[in-house]
Amino acid sequence: MTSPPAIEARGLTLTLGEGGAAVEILRGIDLSVRTGETLALLGPSGSGKSSLMAVLSGLERASGGSLTVAGQDFAAMDEDALATARRGRIGIVLQAFPLLPPMTALENVAVPMELAGQADAAARARAELEAVGLGHRLTHYPAQLSGGEQQRVAIARATAPRPQLIFADEPTGNLDAATGHEIVELLFARRAETGATLAIITHDAELAARCDRIVTLADGLIASDSGA
Amino acid sequence: MSGTLPWRTAWTIARRDLHRRFRGLRLLLVCLFLGVGALAAIGTLTGAIESEITARGQEILGGDLEVSIWQREASAEETAGLAALGQVSGGLRMQATASTATAAAPIELKAVDTRWPLYGTFLLADGRKAGAPPRGEAWLAQGAADRLGVRPGDTFRLGTIDLKVGGIIGEEPDRLGEGFALGPTVIVGAQVPAEAGLVAPGAMYRAKYRIAFPAPRNAQGVADSLRDRFPSSGFEIRTAERASPGADRFVSRMGDFLVLVGLSALVIAGIGIGGGVSSYLEARRGGIATLKVLGATSGDIARIYMLQLGMAALAGAAAGLAAGVLVTPLLGSALGSLLPVQPGLVIDPAALLRAAAFGLMVALIFAAPPLIRARSFPAMALMRERIAPLATHWRPALLPIGGGLAAIAVLALAGSGQKLLGAGFLAGAAAVLGLLFLFGIAIRRVSARIPPPRDPLLRIALGNLHRPGAQTGALVTALGFGLAAFVLLAAVETSIDADIQRTIPRQAPDYFVLDIPRDRIGAFETLVHAGEPKAEIRHVPALRGRILAYGPKGAMTRVADLAEIPEDAWPLRGERGLTYSDGVPEGNVVTAGTWWPADYAGEPLVSIDEQLAKALGLKLGDYITIGLLGVERDARIASFRRIDWDSMGFNYVLVFTPNAIADAPHNLAATIDLPGGARSGPLLRELVRAFPSSSVIEIGQVLAEARVILGQVGNAVLAAASVAVLAGIAVLLGAIAAARASRLYDNVILRVLGASRRQLLILQLAEYGLLAAVLAVVALLLGSAAAWGVVVHLFEFDWLPDWPRVLAVLGCGVALVLGFALAGSLPLLRAKPAQALREL
Repeated sequence: MTSPPAIEARGLTLTLGEGGAAVEILRGIDLSVRTGETLALLGPSGSGKSSLMAVLSGLERASGGSLTVAGQDFAAMDEDALATARRGRIGIVLQAFPLLPPMTALENVAVPMELAGQADAAARARAELEAVGLGHRLTHYPAQLSGGEQQRVAIARATAPRPQLIFADEPTGNLDAATGHEIVELLFARRAETGATLAIITHDAELAARCDRIVTLADGLIASDSGA
Repeated sequence: MSGTLPWRTAWTIARRDLHRRFRGLRLLLVCLFLGVGALAAIGTLTGAIESEITARGQEILGGDLEVSIWQREASAEETAGLAALGQVSGGLRMQATASTATAAAPIELKAVDTRWPLYGTFLLADGRKAGAPPRGEAWLAQGAADRLGVRPGDTFRLGTIDLKVGGIIGEEPDRLGEGFALGPTVIVGAQVPAEAGLVAPGAMYRAKYRIAFPAPRNAQGVADSLRDRFPSSGFEIRTAERASPGADRFVSRMGDFLVLVGLSALVIAGIGIGGGVSSYLEARRGGIATLKVLGATSGDIARIYMLQLGMAALAGAAAGLAAGVLVTPLLGSALGSLLPVQPGLVIDPAALLRAAAFGLMVALIFAAPPLIRARSFPAMALMRERIAPLATHWRPALLPIGGGLAAIAVLALAGSGQKLLGAGFLAGAAAVLGLLFLFGIAIRRVSARIPPPRDPLLRIALGNLHRPGAQTGALVTALGFGLAAFVLLAAVETSIDADIQRTIPRQAPDYFVLDIPRDRIGAFETLVHAGEPKAEIRHVPALRGRILAYGPKGAMTRVADLAEIPEDAWPLRGERGLTYSDGVPEGNVVTAGTWWPADYAGEPLVSIDEQLAKALGLKLGDYITIGLLGVERDARIASFRRIDWDSMGFNYVLVFTPNAIADAPHNLAATIDLPGGARSGPLLRELVRAFPSSSVIEIGQVLAEARVILGQVGNAVLAAASVAVLAGIAVLLGAIAAARASRLYDNVILRVLGASRRQLLILQLAEYGLLAAVLAVVALLLGSAAAWGVVVHLFEFDWLPDWPRVLAVLGCGVALVLGFALAGSLPLLRAKPAQALREL
């Protein structure tokens, strides 16, 4: 018996702005992602990759179509309901995903679990930071960490709640090649440990090749899908 | 995983982002500190004075109970009745005139027996403890000694006898309980008034009997039983619990008014709070968006940041409360003789709680809109790095704003003794704030439409008034209110002062003379006209009594049976001046009924003030019963009169037919109007010498003292209003801080393009000078309009503001604002272009 898909999107559209200034970002996306699958999203700038990821991760409401993520009907939810739906289920790593400056590395990683009401948030945060090699940086603030270290914290924050899905939008975009490589290795390692479905936006062909499936967007539509 | 974040978790997250020294929230802290501090100081001071008066009631009153009787001493039966209650100290109070060969001074004569004071300690200025003066001596207040030009050991004349100055009064324990006096005090032995010929039958004096109970008992119960036992005696009774109702009323009303002024200042501070909170939350957009990405709902965001703001608000309010308490003794010293007692360091929990409640409610009202807006910061702001202008949804803010405003109004009115006045003040303040808000919008729109000046610096300065994000509206409201309050106070004070100085003396007589023997009025007029042939003299018979009952015959209402005396029926309280006349008194108009003919000899009749008649529901033909020298007398109401109180001459609520009361022992009272420029010194001395039992009151001296008190009151209110200006300056500094980044950007670009620091300084001067000019005009218009309403319609005085003084006060306020604005902007001039460009 096959498990239900992690993501099921039908006819997904996204339009931003109103009236004459309205812009169609997504023009009818059909996408089904299996549980545990790793998915690379490619496409030129302006193709709608980030917007698709925003909709799939519940950061933005679709303008039309249907969307079920981790068994929940995202299309019917308002922003607060989407936020609640994200708790503990979806981890997000962005290129410039800021850590909260007034919080230590440990506190930053603990926040999503605290929001989800998980009692052992601090212990799990500590364990996750140790897993990403930052056990010696628990009490450091973001301003005291290097770019690579900050992204490790961000990864730990995304994976600590043991989410069902992880979305990463160019997670190495701000990093040098060597550090970026380390981050990618770390991301995939954590994903393997948690069994989460991973969707990653990247321009890096080598990174894309590591994924089970490559979906290419163009002009708000899926141009090609290696898993189709 | 669903539902709003528990408060405990919200606090865990909130405190991580809350700086130990509340960085980013200092404007909130400062504004609350100022506003709550002012209210705490006012409330504590008022409460402290009222508590002091209550705690020292026995000392202030001079006994547990005081019984006063006008124009006679207690009868044997009354004396026995009082003696049965405890230890009795008797004495006498009256207006008199003391004189030397070269000077004369109206005084309040206080005759005391050997038991005085029953409570407290009387000290002379040289530190000696004393009681009643020895025979042949008197204690003088310093003011009396100065006016007579005498020192201890010198002699002065009182009535028909000479007395030696035995000492200068230092601390008089029952001074406050004596009430308002038309002259400095002279204390003499109980036998002196009779020896000096001052207490012939009909003389206007008050016998006072203070009683000390042997054991604590219910003074009010004793007072009631005395009234029941001696219903017609005309007793005025006070207990130690209400030892000084006049001072109580003054402190209470002054306190109410200052609280309302302080509350207005707090509302101004609220504008600063709103601005500060707005800037704080805008700076945290990224953090808020991050939390939303991580799963925080808008409700969670509201909880987290409400806890942060709440902590800062509590810290600001606590600091304000502490400052308010600590500053109270300093305020007491600064206000000096204006206060009836000097309070020390006092903690008044009720006053502090009230001040804190006001502060926190104002914080809620002004912090609610930016907090509600922050709830809507989108998570997507991170992914797109889009800072989109958020629509302001007012509906969610209506509940906290409306609830907060209602709570403030209820709390303000609940604590006020004059609810109508309080409601009027609040409504007026709200109207002024609303008008200022509209002015602010208008100034932005007008400045946007003015053709741009050629000079680039002026052009930029004008543009800064209406550029997106400009805080012109908030600044006009915040600073305009405080400056308008300055104009209002200066205009009202100078106008009333001018009235006291110019108009009132024109209308008021130069002298009131009391206790002129009836058989010597001819000699009196001859004496006055000998010195001042053009002097105008008016005289009336002067008696004192109280209204005991009123209404239709057979169904009269006894005043003693009233649960409460209606506000408009003030003549029912205590003794009244009474007179009789053949003709309608000058300045009075009969509005109903008919005046009696001259030589009327029928049933005793009375004509009463139409306002009193209306307040009591009296009709022509009803009766009035008065108590006069211990005897009840009835008279039928024959007419109502409208009295012109502005004439400042003799005005009586009750005027009787001569046959109603002329048989009672009495003297005459007279007014003397001197032609303009006449010297009054010689006349005063002549009168005192020829009429030693009469007392002469110089109106000029009384008005001078009234002006002093007015000045002191004005200073106290100005101090409270200054808090509004300080709060406005805090708003200004907050606005400068909020615009720092954009202004730095502007300055750097200008420097790169070749502008010098001097030119940038001129730009700042031009911008803030424009703002200051606008503020000055707005404040002058609003403040003057409000002052006109207060002077002409509320006080019914002439509109006579001292414009140079008003403009000087406004100028000082505007200069202060300009100074702070420039000082706040100076650091931006020091920025180095290269470094700033790297950081931008």
